[in-house]
Amino acid sequence: MKQHYRITPQGRGPEPSDAEIARLADGKRLLYDYQRATRRPSQPIYRDPKAFLLLLLIVLIAWLASGGFEKEQKDGLTVPEHIHPERPTEQP
Amino acid sequence: MDRTEEEALIRAAQAKPERFAPLYEHHFTAIFRFILKRAADRDLTADLTQQTFLKAMVALPRYEPRGLPFKAFLYRIALNELHMYWRKRKEKVMDLSHAEVKGLSEELGMPEQEAELASLGRALGRLSADKAQLIELRYMDGMSFAEMGAVLGVGEDAAKMRTHRVLSTLRTYLSPRA
Repeated sequence: MKQHYRITPQGRGPEPSDAEIARLADGKRLLYDYQRATRRPSQPIYRDPKAFLLLLLIVLIAWLASGGFEKEQKDGLTVPEHIHPERPTEQP
Repeated sequence: MDRTEEEALIRAAQAKPERFAPLYEHHFTAIFRFILKRAADRDLTADLTQQTFLKAMVALPRYEPRGLPFKAFLYRIALNELHMYWRKRKEKVMDLSHAEVKGLSEELGMPEQEAELASLGRALGRLSADKAQLIELRYMDGMSFAEMGAVLGVGEDAAKMRTHRVLSTLRTYLSPRA
């Protein structure tokens, strides 16, 4: 990030008065923004039918994928032949 | 507003966010001016000030006074907001008047002439953001070392030592050999 400091006789120009600044304060907007920032979703995700179906689908895919992976491991298909634990290693 | 009164207001706001209004109204002008010095644009300053108070309100339940003024907590959030804005713009531009750098130029023993002050501006631009921040807080905002320490989250002595180191760096940048 580059930094520049411009030093001039007048600087930023005339400063606003305290009364002008106080007029910019908006407590109602601040409270509204706060409530929006901290608001919880009105409905939990599992109660929304579409979100529930999506969650179910994700869980199902994860379950099927893990089942397939376990089966592959049982069949020993994923273990390459040259590192098979039952095969004796050649001694020099 | 004295410390105990302010702490009572903080506790009330922590219990009920709707009661944050007195703290907001009391500190709004100071925070606005603090940001305006760095952002220059009034609309942008109004937005950043509002964002500062919003972040303060969200963080308030976790806030503990620990003997530090609430204003220091707000200044720290305001500085974070400004840093985020500058990072997005990839540039920080500060317009300073001769009056604002008077204290700094006196500390450095510089004559207050146009050319000398322009070189001071260039030297400030060469400092890292953290170092420049110390100079800004001390000489442009007129904070004491204790106040600076509270804003930066360091002790008074550390703030003093760091500022003196930055001043000697500035003297090096301003020396004819540099």
